[in-house]
Amino acid sequence: MRTAFLNTLVDLMRVNEDILSLTADMGFSVFEDVEKEFPERFLNTGVTEQSTISIATGLALCGYKVFFYAQAPFATMRCFEQIRLDVAYNHVNVKIIGTASGFSSNQLGVSHFALEDVGLMRLLPDMTIFTPGDPLESAWATKAAYEINGPVYIRITKAGSPVIHKTQQLSHPEAGIIIKNGGRFTLFVSGSLLPMALDIIEVLSKKNVDGTLISLPVIKPINKKIILEAARKTGYIFTLEEHNIIGGLGSAVAEIIAESGMQVKFYRFGAPDKFTSVTGSVQYLLEYNGLSTQQISETILKSLRGIK
Amino acid sequence: MIEHVLKKLKREAREVRKTILKMIISAHASHIASSYSIVELLVYLYEKTLRINPRKPLDPNRDRFILSKGWGISTLYTILAKKGFFEKKLLNTYCQDGSKMIGIATRNGIPGIEATTGSMGHGLAIGVGMAMAAKMQKRDYRVFVLISDGECDEGSTWEAILQAGHYKLDNLIVIVDYNKWQSFGRVADVLDLEPFVKKWEAFKWSAKEIDGHSFEEISQIFSKLPFEKGKPSIVIAHTIKGKGVSVLEDRNEWHYKTPTEKEIKIAKSELGL
Repeated sequence: MRTAFLNTLVDLMRVNEDILSLTADMGFSVFEDVEKEFPERFLNTGVTEQSTISIATGLALCGYKVFFYAQAPFATMRCFEQIRLDVAYNHVNVKIIGTASGFSSNQLGVSHFALEDVGLMRLLPDMTIFTPGDPLESAWATKAAYEINGPVYIRITKAGSPVIHKTQQLSHPEAGIIIKNGGRFTLFVSGSLLPMALDIIEVLSKKNVDGTLISLPVIKPINKKIILEAARKTGYIFTLEEHNIIGGLGSAVAEIIAESGMQVKFYRFGAPDKFTSVTGSVQYLLEYNGLSTQQISETILKSLRGIK
Repeated sequence: MIEHVLKKLKREAREVRKTILKMIISAHASHIASSYSIVELLVYLYEKTLRINPRKPLDPNRDRFILSKGWGISTLYTILAKKGFFEKKLLNTYCQDGSKMIGIATRNGIPGIEATTGSMGHGLAIGVGMAMAAKMQKRDYRVFVLISDGECDEGSTWEAILQAGHYKLDNLIVIVDYNKWQSFGRVADVLDLEPFVKKWEAFKWSAKEIDGHSFEEISQIFSKLPFEKGKPSIVIAHTIKGKGVSVLEDRNEWHYKTPTEKEIKIAKSELGL
């Protein structure tokens, strides 16, 4: 996912001279090629997320499109007030790339986990939020971020995510991508847990419980239509994300369903609202927080049966 | 400085203070003292230094002025109106219901307001970005940022100071309104900034100190910019909070309170209103 972002950014920078890449001293073994190819348009401003967001704003107010790259907790939380007042209020072309989101920095603990970033960004008026789930979505989001006039947050994980989508050219991913069709329930997923979501759908399919899987790489503005259609068709809506269950995809979908007046069974899968004070592999940490194919499949089954 | 120029500037400063007084009273607003401490600095910059054109407020080659201590905005509004950036009658709407003339500098479409500030520690870094842009775009505009002394408590201010020095931004000129009061007390008591000049110099800035109310000293300091090639310039302007009206001078309560009948009477008499 990260590599796809980077390659797309380099492609964009080759064609568009108004792009600047800024990093607050992050991107070791990531940004070296960018620095080499564009020494004038790559700036490592030091370990200074707060002032760097303001600097990015100053640059954007003078005509540049600035891509600011840092690990998700530092790209969004350390400098949230600068993002709010400088970037969002001025509606400038600053594109914030939060890498190593969720539990990606698995061995490093709470300081490096980012489970609140989407919630924070959702609070900001006119902030577009991309949470790509595979390298193709990531490349698309990077291009789209350049084309959008205004602030954008792209939430990515580390390198090494598998390609999920079968076609290179995603058709209107901003509207949501239907990956599987099934009548019993709909699972909305956004971001890094897309492969897990696919596993869940396949596991349940083998048990003759066919569900619809929809990837939503855009959390804001969210596509209301696809959510309501799924609710109408299947009546059971589940959401899955590597984020606190408060504030992210689950909240966004819940708000739409709650206001629709529809009778829908709904459940959010995400990190519970508590800090994770242990270390381990990403898989371990997800499972520790109730996020594994097995745990989620069982919960979905129980929930479908319970209603019968 | 030639006598008649000095006289004109002094007269202008007095007029600006009169207008501010009217705005503050009418809106029952705060921050009169913060606005009065920067009157001479802003009058001089807008009269003599800044390369700006009120008819082309978005000219890409204009000098940028950022009022990082955004709560001194009544001074800037007054001067921008006098320069013709917008109609003077807009000043009457200061802090009134539905007005865009907000009590903190807000970039909401009012010509001449370059940045939304007042949340401390933003303006200088935005200015660094603008100064970097000028260098990259090979434009010769300069960026002026006026910050408060209290703002120098903020980590983000020092991040930006470090960056401006590192990037050798000699098109960046920062002025500190060193009135030695911050929100809840004397700067020296709350969080001492001294040795202030040495701190900036240690961060690779070229520093000068002036009396921020003396047009002679202000004119001298801005006559040659940057102070040093390859370094950002910092002006430590020693000022008096509330300068210009005896009962408002050097008293922190006028950061918050609106003058009452008693102070208004004295102010009017001293300013000749």
